[in-house]
Amino acid sequence: MLNLGLDIVTTAAILFIVSTGLLLVFGVMKIINFSHGAFLTTGGYASVIVAQAGLGWWWSIPCSLAIGFVLGMAVERFIVRPLYARPLDAILATWGLGIIVGQLITLAFGRGVQMVASPLSGAVHWLGAQYSAYRLVLVGVALIIALALGWLLNGTRLGLQTRAVIMNEALARGLGISSARVRFITFCTGAALASLAGCLITPLASVDPNMGVAWVVGAFMLVLVAGASLVNLAVASTVLGGAQVLVSTFVNPVLGGLTIAVLAALLLRIRPEGFARG
Amino acid sequence: MADPVSTMPLRVPVARPWRMPLVVGVAALAVLAVGSVILPTFLVNNLIRSFLYAALALTVDLLWGYTGILTFGQSAFFGIGAYAAGLVFVHAGYSPLLAAGALAAGLAAAWLVSRAIGWLAFYHGASPLYASVVTLVLPIVLVQAIYSGGEFTGSSSGLSGFDSIDLPLEAWFFIAGAFLTVLAVIAWLFVRSDAGRLLVAIRENESRCEYLGIDVSRYKARLMDTCALVAAFAGFLFACVQMVVAPEYAGFVFGTELVIWVALGGRGSLLGPIVGALLIDTGSAYLSGDLPYIWTLLIGIAFVVVIVAMPRGLAPLVADGVRGMLPRRKGPAPVAVTFVAAPARERDDATGGTARPALSLRGIHKHFGSLKVLDGISFDAHAGELLSLIGPNGAGKSTLMRCIADGAQRSGGTVEIGGAEIRRLAPYDCVALGVGRKFQTATVFDSLSVAEALRIARYRVARPSRWQRSTTLELPQPALDVLRLTGLDRIPEQQCRYLSHGQKQALELAMVLALEPRTVLLDEPTAGLTKQERTQIGSIFVSLATRYRMCLLLVEHDLDFVRQISSRIVVLHQGRIVMDGGVDEVVNSDLVRAVYAGESHTGTAGTEGGA
Amino acid sequence: MKRLSYAATATALLMTLHTAFAADPIRIGVPVGLSGANSVVAPSVVQSAQLAVDEINAKGGILGRQVSLEVADDGSGAAGAQKAFDSLIFDKKVNALISMETSAARNAGLPIVSRGKVPFIYTSFYEGRSCNRYMYVDAWVPDQQVAPIVDYFMKQQHAKTFFLIGSDYAFGRGMLDFTKSYIEKQGGKVVGNEYLPMDGSDWTSIISKLQAAKPDAIITSTAGGAPNVTLTKQLRAAGIKLPYGNLAVDEGTAKSMGADAQGIYISGSYVTNIDTPANHQFLAAMQKRFGADLKTPNDLSVPEYEAIYLYKAAVEKAGTVDTAKVIPALAQVSFDGPRGKIQMDKQRHTPLTMYLGQVQADGSVKVIESFKNVDPGAQCPALK
Repeated sequence: MLNLGLDIVTTAAILFIVSTGLLLVFGVMKIINFSHGAFLTTGGYASVIVAQAGLGWWWSIPCSLAIGFVLGMAVERFIVRPLYARPLDAILATWGLGIIVGQLITLAFGRGVQMVASPLSGAVHWLGAQYSAYRLVLVGVALIIALALGWLLNGTRLGLQTRAVIMNEALARGLGISSARVRFITFCTGAALASLAGCLITPLASVDPNMGVAWVVGAFMLVLVAGASLVNLAVASTVLGGAQVLVSTFVNPVLGGLTIAVLAALLLRIRPEGFARG
Repeated sequence: MADPVSTMPLRVPVARPWRMPLVVGVAALAVLAVGSVILPTFLVNNLIRSFLYAALALTVDLLWGYTGILTFGQSAFFGIGAYAAGLVFVHAGYSPLLAAGALAAGLAAAWLVSRAIGWLAFYHGASPLYASVVTLVLPIVLVQAIYSGGEFTGSSSGLSGFDSIDLPLEAWFFIAGAFLTVLAVIAWLFVRSDAGRLLVAIRENESRCEYLGIDVSRYKARLMDTCALVAAFAGFLFACVQMVVAPEYAGFVFGTELVIWVALGGRGSLLGPIVGALLIDTGSAYLSGDLPYIWTLLIGIAFVVVIVAMPRGLAPLVADGVRGMLPRRKGPAPVAVTFVAAPARERDDATGGTARPALSLRGIHKHFGSLKVLDGISFDAHAGELLSLIGPNGAGKSTLMRCIADGAQRSGGTVEIGGAEIRRLAPYDCVALGVGRKFQTATVFDSLSVAEALRIARYRVARPSRWQRSTTLELPQPALDVLRLTGLDRIPEQQCRYLSHGQKQALELAMVLALEPRTVLLDEPTAGLTKQERTQIGSIFVSLATRYRMCLLLVEHDLDFVRQISSRIVVLHQGRIVMDGGVDEVVNSDLVRAVYAGESHTGTAGTEGGA
Repeated sequence: MKRLSYAATATALLMTLHTAFAADPIRIGVPVGLSGANSVVAPSVVQSAQLAVDEINAKGGILGRQVSLEVADDGSGAAGAQKAFDSLIFDKKVNALISMETSAARNAGLPIVSRGKVPFIYTSFYEGRSCNRYMYVDAWVPDQQVAPIVDYFMKQQHAKTFFLIGSDYAFGRGMLDFTKSYIEKQGGKVVGNEYLPMDGSDWTSIISKLQAAKPDAIITSTAGGAPNVTLTKQLRAAGIKLPYGNLAVDEGTAKSMGADAQGIYISGSYVTNIDTPANHQFLAAMQKRFGADLKTPNDLSVPEYEAIYLYKAAVEKAGTVDTAKVIPALAQVSFDGPRGKIQMDKQRHTPLTMYLGQVQADGSVKVIESFKNVDPGAQCPALK
């Protein structure tokens, strides 16, 4: 029972970490960044680079953030900006970008699957149950990210401008806020977060050029349901992530994989605003 | 929602549009028959697969390139057809009867799934992003369902080693190629036909189509059903020839590949996606072995470049190039469409008869959250009346118009059109009751010609042919009057995007009139018009009311215009009717002056008239 | 002008004659999982093939013809296999296919093999009972492999309840079905049997089920490289220390798993510690050929080496590469390789010496017991 509860909480944390970058981009720019998966992958390979360079795993965190941010700058400038008025095309172009990044990574690192050693191995004994220490740590990481982003959005001027653009871009521009700058910084931050998420999930699984693809659709459904609010994303991650764990455990792990997508689609049909207040 | 990517402009209609596609089709079949024998085996193998994929790409082009529905889900229907064959042949064995049964099962399953997707994705007010999301989730769900089927569905392994229709490879080559050819010819005929223009109209301006009485959601769902059946058939053939089915063939990566081929080939051009699919799929069989990473990388780069910089794809570029190189030929003289008067339709309370008001509002109110925009609006309007709705900005005039034409908009109260309550009906059903709405900004269909736009407007009354192009178009007299007065009847083949602002306004009015409404809602019809155009349109409105006995409801800011043409004025202020009476009465009233000058803020002294 | 064109024609003619008479190489196709689940082990398979081909060519080739290798990526799955087999058989026109693949890929490729009428030696251990006119198998089947582990667990570890985990495809299910019935025949009980799709990497809920079921031992059968690694990693991360028998891991993958792999029991037909002259010679040659790039030879790659030699022997016995003659010859020839004497004469399969081993801290495998000449059982009764 406790294991189940921990499964739900840690799964929700992981989903949250993976989706925050996408939420930021969707909230501000109203487009779905399908290259999110590619950024996840770059984060994973950042860990590989760090491991090959012989440095400790914790160096992957700044490394992945940096790589994600820089890559995000180029992508926003050349691919996302021209497509601002064509959201469906933006989905396609960013998906294409994901393919390109995947192939470049394959060229650089090979097709094969790579393993990265976990920084924190073994289990923690707690209240009679054994649970993976690393997964528990990720819950803490999710909280830190949420708090940091929350502070950025609510406590800084840039954050205030960002929230203005989220609510009403035309009005924000009319008030003198450079929405182009806000969008640029938002995209780069979103990309950096995606990359960070990628590096954080590598100890749990393996790294290969297509690792990000599996996460994109789930993250994207969560973001659609959550709208533009971090709190809503946390709620969505817990509810839908919990449903995924329950279905995986009691029905079939295979069907569990599609719980998020199906539930989110049904939810949006019934209530197009998702969890946001109507 | 306008999509900057336009379809390749249709050449001026030819007298017999079906001749070219049929000739090309027969020629293609001949080439296939010959090719099946002389081409090397490896190429034949690949082309069989590529032909079926190209058929899939064609369906994606119809859905996305023409109608604007970005779908990643055609691979799922392909997978359904393939697995139907695989499951039946593995578990029940092979026989011609079982094969027919498998095909029927696959088609039925695809149809059912498509209906479910249609219900989910296409409804009044659905966002296109959500529709695409649903089509993305479909193949994912299908693949997971296949995985969870364990040994029954073969799970990750797929199903193989089953017997199927025993035909030589050459015969399969011809069958697959013929399938593609027949499909392409039918699609070509459809797209060029009058009914095919509706696809473009939906993509360009879905809202306008709804207000022309077209149930867009149902249309899209039907289109998706048809494409799903085609895809399932292709999948069935695929399983029979390959004798292996695997989850990858039903997955969303394959679904996105289809979109890539269509985008690169040229969306909205039919031939582009076919060529794109054939070249890329067969090309990859040869090239990806030797340059594995580079090939996919090149495709990815080409895809991104095309989407960002050349959204129409490569086909138009190639076509233009080819056309430039060919010597100019004098083709047969094009036949322009002529407008004729439509026979007068049976109307139950045709002329006069003020027994029942054309429009009746009772207690309409609308609020957004805690903001009340309309509060207790009630009045009647009769045939032959030209009723102007005036009031300062924010009074709720446009909102009221929307509430009359779209049953889902209002928060409370009843609206009756010609005595029938609109309840919660969608715009296209309200049109059936006899109301037409002209939008504030002239919304026509940029890629279509004047005649084509008008034919779309006549969709409810006269269904356009699905394979022909008619050279005449019947329009009701009011519409013809508008066209003649503004000179639009002389330029039926002009593309709408090249019309002047005034011409667009007139065209939209003619389109609304083509619906043969009894009540017309006009939202700021004089915005942006010159003085001369304003006088012209004013006289049209007056004749609509007096000669044709329509009920016109006008939202206007230009008080002079209102004074000249109206028979009655209703003044709205802060969501309530403050005055309702004859022209002189209202125009000379102090209250109205005060309202416009912004002196009174609540409906206090001197509320006169009103219902 | 005329003289120039004569010269050109003459040269062209000479060149065509030259190529026609020069010995056409014998092409061996190797469709293997360079990407996907098998990508961890594929490089070792390719290396074994390369060594075999190099050695054969150095000694004069087969029937005086050089041998060339054509490697294609089958993506470790059905769709990729179709493309790879198609390309090798019809485009590159190989004379034989000799390779290790996932069962999904093999099943998808077999119809193409039948259509192309090319001999196919399948060099991977698998779930058994896959039969095709053109196929031979030189690796083990469950009838040879499962008993050592289960017997050891039941006798030495006193295990009565087992939890089975696998990848959801023909191999995973086939192996675990056989294991389940063997366990039950020996009087044990299976308390859980869970699967994830081949590409799945999130074993969380399965591990939770495992902990709830409290079995005495775990037996797994996952696809190739990646699933093995992710499952083991996650099991260890959850702190699971039960006896763990892995039916589908090879030494190379075990080495790459590092500390996580320690203690895993494996049962196979090859370990690098086999003390025979043939094996020592083989390992030395591999080391010399590949040096620092050497991927540990393992139970998936060594059969490839032996299979190429078996093909050579069959072609020499038949005197031609003609498929109709080579197929029967393949059952009649034998080869003494690193795993001992290999002869595919038991219904297209071969008796093998099996080893039960345990992975040590340094990644090497310590042999606990060995079983000579284990029979593969009745795999393809319909074929002779």
